[in-house]
Amino acid sequence: MAERARTRGDRGLTDVVVLGVGLSRFSHDRLDGSIRDWVVEAVTAALEDGGLERDRLDLSVMAYESDHLAGQLGQGIIWHDSVGLAPRPTVRVEGGGATGGLAIRSALAQLRAGFGGCALVVGAERVGKSVSSATATELFAMSSDTDWELPVGGHFTAYYAMIMREHMRRYGTTEEQMAQVSVKNHGNARFHPLAQKPMALTVEEVMASPVIASPYKLLDCSLLSDGAAALVLATREWARRNAHSFADRPVIRLVGSGVATDRPRPGDRPWGAFAGFAAKRRAAEMAYAMAGVEEPRKELDVAEIYDSYTGAELMAYEALGLCEPGESGEMSDLGVFELGGELPINPSGGLLGFGAAAGATGIAQAAEIVTQLRGEADPRRQVEGAQLGLTDSHAGTATICAVHIFEREG
Amino acid sequence: MASWERGLSEPARRTVTDPLGRDQDPFADFRRVMLLELEQRFRYRHSLGKTSRFFLALEEGVLLGSRCLACGGVWLPPRALCPDDLTITSWQELPGTGRLMSWTGCSRAPSYADTGGAPYLLAYVALEGASTLFLHRLRGVDEGELEPGMPVRVAFSRGPVGHPLERFWFEPA
Ligand SMILES: [Zn+2]
Repeated sequence: MAERARTRGDRGLTDVVVLGVGLSRFSHDRLDGSIRDWVVEAVTAALEDGGLERDRLDLSVMAYESDHLAGQLGQGIIWHDSVGLAPRPTVRVEGGGATGGLAIRSALAQLRAGFGGCALVVGAERVGKSVSSATATELFAMSSDTDWELPVGGHFTAYYAMIMREHMRRYGTTEEQMAQVSVKNHGNARFHPLAQKPMALTVEEVMASPVIASPYKLLDCSLLSDGAAALVLATREWARRNAHSFADRPVIRLVGSGVATDRPRPGDRPWGAFAGFAAKRRAAEMAYAMAGVEEPRKELDVAEIYDSYTGAELMAYEALGLCEPGESGEMSDLGVFELGGELPINPSGGLLGFGAAAGATGIAQAAEIVTQLRGEADPRRQVEGAQLGLTDSHAGTATICAVHIFEREG
Repeated sequence: MASWERGLSEPARRTVTDPLGRDQDPFADFRRVMLLELEQRFRYRHSLGKTSRFFLALEEGVLLGSRCLACGGVWLPPRALCPDDLTITSWQELPGTGRLMSWTGCSRAPSYADTGGAPYLLAYVALEGASTLFLHRLRGVDEGELEPGMPVRVAFSRGPVGHPLERFWFEPA
């Protein structure tokens, strides 16, 4: 274990560690403040968690998907200013549901480029009830092709549903197996104090929820959330010299990062790859190669993966190499990825149970993995002795995929 | 240009609690909030550009794809430039028959497209002569009757349409 820790992700590149993580409360409708207030909540929590002064930060990376959900363009600099970071550099990153993951990668790149020793990464989105759910559907649907997919009544639940129908035809995956993912993730959310929708569900209840786009039903679909998440990343050298608590806590290293893309219109993808997330597979392979992971199912201890829909989580098991193509339904039956199972996935509750605030997602996933690797999660969702964790988020129908790997040293 | 519609309603007032439920709320003096209703409208002038000929042909009841002479692939939706070879494509007429590859029954009518209400069916169809799948509405059939691979064909409307893509749809062959 110690041998592995010294070599993982070591390609002569600057070692980057996570110093602090912070989350706002995730909610279906936060009226107590606007998005910048939730950002303050998450950033304050991350600085406190890392034992850091705001003045020590060198730069920020701001992540949000839509200017229109909050009715405010240029939110990055507003958030940057709301925690007093001017005149430091900032950049806004966007890539749909992968936005937060891409922001982490941007910070990693900037730290490795020597642009600073310590970076703040913040993601947030106002998706709750800022606009009606019909308008939210439209604003998200506008990230599909507005010349070809939108005018025929296309939307994301429908695209995912058609991809999943082919997965069912090809591999025999069932709606019950998809429903089990909803039961698992809503159930896990019961053990997270900031989760939006903790629920003790049964497969029958998921199956009985109203159909949105067959085979997907309401409880197969992720939440619409107001929320923010923050992460403080630093080079190891900077952390050693500047972070008071660095020596006293487990060191969490960011050891792998992979990003890959696919054709945005599912109809343009080869039929053989229609019911597989090809870009996710490629992004994972990139991250595994960087981190020196050879057998992900064996080596990983915990993962937060992109459960925009229950079937998307199943397909991610396959694309991330956690099982063979077509085996994900059976893995769900066996409880392999439940708390207490071989490799717990989405202990936070994921996008189904914890919440889905687009720009915050990839960063909230990282916050959960860091919390797990430190052994600081609620004991009811803590994966005992977790050393290696993965985050996975994507835009569109796995069109831009971002995978990261974090390791606890020692 | 976008414009904000103001004064849609009298601002609502609420008293909210600390979302983190702390014993001592540090923002106790900031918990009386006002809520506004704001509305914004856009109008876009949008060119269909190099794909326009596809839409013009629909008015004649003709379905066009674009063939890349380098790879032989036929793109539908058409692309003036094959993204694989960066070669300029040629228009090619397609017969408008194909096979149903996947589908979904949508229970809610979207605000942004005329789906003839809800429920409505969306389908990916492999059209004869095309290398890609085309997404459109499937009409004239109940979801329960659908089978993978079943033959479908393009049907054209003659009446006025809101968006030129509504000029056609799929139905069982
Ligand atoms: Zn070509």
